[in-house]
Amino acid sequence: MTIRAKSSTLVVLALLAVIVLLVAAAFVLGRTAEPSGRTLVTVRLWDPRVATAYRKSFADFTGSHPGIEVRVDVVAYSTYFDTLRTDVAGGSADDIFWLNNAYLAGYADSGRLVAITPTPAWEPSVVDQFTRHGTLWAVPQLTDAGIAVYYNADLLAKAGVDPAVLNSVRWSRVDTVDTLRPLLARLTVHGAGRTQWAYNAANDLQGIYLNYIGSAGGTFSEGDRFTFDNPQAAEAFRYLVGLINTDRVAPPASDTNDNGDFSRNQFLQGNMALFQSGTYNLANVAANARFRWGVAMLPIGPVGRVSVTNGIAAAGNAASRHPEAVREVLAWMGGRHGNAYLAEDGAAIPAVLAAQKTYFDYWAARNVDVSPFFDVLGGGRVPAPGGAGFAAGFDAVKPYFDEMFLGRADVGRTLASAQAAANDAAAR
Amino acid sequence: MSTGRVRRAALGYTLLAPSLFGAAAFLLLPMLVVVWLSLQRWDLLGPIRFVGLANWRSVLTDPTFGNSLLVTAGFVGLVVPLQTILGLLAASLLARQLPGSPFFRTVYVLPWICAPLAIAVLWRWLLAPTDGAINTVLGRRVEWLTDPTLALPVVSAVTVWTNVGYVALFFLAGILAIPADIQRAAQLDGATSWQRFRRITLPMLRPTLFFVLVTGVVSAAQVFDTVFALTNGGPRNRTDLVAHRIYAEAFGAAAVGRAAVMAIVVFAILIAATVVQHLFFRRRITYELV
Amino acid sequence: MSWFSRILVYAALTVGALITLTPFALGLLTSFTTPQQFATGSPLGIPNPPTLANYAALHGAGFGRAAVVTALMTAVIVVGQLTFSVLAAYAFARLNFAGRDVLFWIYILTMLVPPSVTVVPLYLMLAEVGLRNTFWALVLPFAFGSPYAIFLLREYFRAIPADLLKAARVDGANTADVLVHVVVPASRPILVTLFLITVVSQWNNFMWPLVITSGSKWRVLTVATAGLQSQYNAQWTLVMAATTVAIVPLIALFIVFQRRVVRSIVVSGLK
Repeated sequence: MTIRAKSSTLVVLALLAVIVLLVAAAFVLGRTAEPSGRTLVTVRLWDPRVATAYRKSFADFTGSHPGIEVRVDVVAYSTYFDTLRTDVAGGSADDIFWLNNAYLAGYADSGRLVAITPTPAWEPSVVDQFTRHGTLWAVPQLTDAGIAVYYNADLLAKAGVDPAVLNSVRWSRVDTVDTLRPLLARLTVHGAGRTQWAYNAANDLQGIYLNYIGSAGGTFSEGDRFTFDNPQAAEAFRYLVGLINTDRVAPPASDTNDNGDFSRNQFLQGNMALFQSGTYNLANVAANARFRWGVAMLPIGPVGRVSVTNGIAAAGNAASRHPEAVREVLAWMGGRHGNAYLAEDGAAIPAVLAAQKTYFDYWAARNVDVSPFFDVLGGGRVPAPGGAGFAAGFDAVKPYFDEMFLGRADVGRTLASAQAAANDAAAR
Repeated sequence: MSTGRVRRAALGYTLLAPSLFGAAAFLLLPMLVVVWLSLQRWDLLGPIRFVGLANWRSVLTDPTFGNSLLVTAGFVGLVVPLQTILGLLAASLLARQLPGSPFFRTVYVLPWICAPLAIAVLWRWLLAPTDGAINTVLGRRVEWLTDPTLALPVVSAVTVWTNVGYVALFFLAGILAIPADIQRAAQLDGATSWQRFRRITLPMLRPTLFFVLVTGVVSAAQVFDTVFALTNGGPRNRTDLVAHRIYAEAFGAAAVGRAAVMAIVVFAILIAATVVQHLFFRRRITYELV
Repeated sequence: MSWFSRILVYAALTVGALITLTPFALGLLTSFTTPQQFATGSPLGIPNPPTLANYAALHGAGFGRAAVVTALMTAVIVVGQLTFSVLAAYAFARLNFAGRDVLFWIYILTMLVPPSVTVVPLYLMLAEVGLRNTFWALVLPFAFGSPYAIFLLREYFRAIPADLLKAARVDGANTADVLVHVVVPASRPILVTLFLITVVSQWNNFMWPLVITSGSKWRVLTVATAGLQSQYNAQWTLVMAATTVAIVPLIALFIVFQRRVVRSIVVSGLK
């Protein structure tokens, strides 16, 4: 009798011990390495190259501010904004996080961000993009300058194309004016197995179609509403869809619709002659291209050259537990010294005007002419879209645009239905 | 006497306490919360605002939701019959218990053991238009996941591939449970193996069939991981199964109230479907002969 | 059975096995292929030379920690679920107290609630109490017992001969003794069943961890795999290494316990 009671108690005790062990393990696993005595400020962004630059910058910062340690968190862009929203909503987001114009509105309007005092030291176009209802809601960090065309000099030479031609090529729906399409045809090689593509025409807002819409004289959005259902934008889309599906000078949309890196990887592998993109890919190309390359200007459209400009800013989390430390880190990030680190290996163009020289110097020293990214800003500019409800609206647009780029839907009808759906979703 | 009752009740409720708490907090309470949420508007970031029946009106007239329900019905209609028939076929082969059958049985269940998410990512490569295994073997470029006519059948095929072994096990147990005497008696009477199958095996498998169908429908209607990894709703929302739609509404488009409405509608439909299946089968089950 | 039909059956079974195993084999091969070979040669080529670089890269992507988190989460849930379900099932099966049957029917009803219905409200509830992105959020909704398990266990417990229990009581056993020495040993098969089913379903859980956690701290294997696939889209050698890591632990477990698992699935279905 005594023995039996003992053994069942033992079992129960053993069970309790297991539970205690597991719970303890959970606590051990959950330990954040809070640096002793120092305040930890966390910064979230999506670009790994810039993250490296930030780490150097923050090491310098901690040198002069020994009570504050800054940790950098990289979250992939494809999930960045989904997880950011749920994190901020749940109160577990980083103290400082990157925002772009497209997603600013939701956070600003719901009081989740720290208000910032603008200074003329910052790139005005970025300050504008992040000002909503008269208040600046984030510290400008990067400006993307404009969009230009990276070219593979070896492939151009093989096709007998002089790179200088790129700077005067025009696109148009009128065949006699259109010099881009014939050029692209010369640069495309359809072989057995692998195809060499000429261009990265695709469902890419910033790199491709927003520029085409602008240079056709159309609009994409105005304030909080989508307005891309207009004839000029339709022309731009028809042209791009034709490049992909009729002329086949660009990869099929089934490859590019869901993979934003596909064209870039093709270009880096030496499989694509022209890659239209922004300075956000410059460092990548410089590091990974194993061929001679250069940068040329955007194709000229019916109303000239128009490029997207985009900026990225760092927002302070209003719910942070260390608001004072956050302010100090933000001040550092918005100052010339701290911001200049981003340019030190050519990763990005600082938004602090005084720090931009570092960027130019870096690339000049490597014999890369970055002027096409900047010269294009002399023409028209299209600001990257945003506004309240942009995320939901843009989400609603995706299935329509995917179909359109796949060549399976009429452009005019798609734009009309997509715009209605987008504005509907944005208003919900 | 009454102290005994009180003591028994105390014991009973003490034993029940943890699971009661769990069921109340994590199963029952959410049901109430979801009804409340369906009347609110919330984008996860801003405040929660009461909007009455606006979400209900919005969802019930939303073609995207209707599409999602249709897609789910189509998916269930493809997956459940296929996996049931193939499972039955596999089971009848395994039931002959030829040497080596346990090996095959183990192999067939492997896909079901793995995380549906991981399986979907694996198939995402196999089905990739460029560099995918299947297109490499075929030598042609087929857009398995981006062609609107192919996407749903392909996603269904992946699900069937995952489930056949699991379904086969149930049928196998059912077949092996049929008393051997009945089969032998029929054989002596000159019945062919096909006749035996149709007139003895199948009717006696009805309870198993019922179980496989009901659970098949309920779990097919809830598929999420596969869609998330393979198509994210698919070309033209052609693979936008309801579980995915609810997730996309709540965490993608940040319309939590609408997602709550959709969840309630889905729940109601599932209950109805289960009840209908129960009623249909109740009159048709042959009970085991003693 | 005729020689000819034997061949047919084996042929059919083999075709089925090939269809089942080939995807895994191909994925595995790819995971050992260098990205360069994969990009320039045939995607189906034998890795030459085979490499572990893809797996090494996973470690940098946090898969090691993801495995630990997944294992711990599964362990906690399994221990909790089994323990509390056993207690509840015993109460329903062998005790007599007021409200017992009504409560049991309520449990049965909760079995009908599908996950897609509870995800959003549970998210809201846990976020409100500040448990978002914590280990507890991963575990709590499941650790308190499962209505399905309680239902199954109750059937088994009811079938235990009453004399066994009475004999134990006569010998002075309290409830804990009865449970440990009579009930549990008599229900080994069903307990193993539930253990295996719970391990499989919790290890493979995706939607709930996806929604309730973010960042690398509490990422589980399924979420890590999905994240890797979207971040390294089309870098298939790396992605295949990730799926292999996600799949292998349970396959290993399965192969070791395969007869038990198979019997478990069957047993749970027949009930």
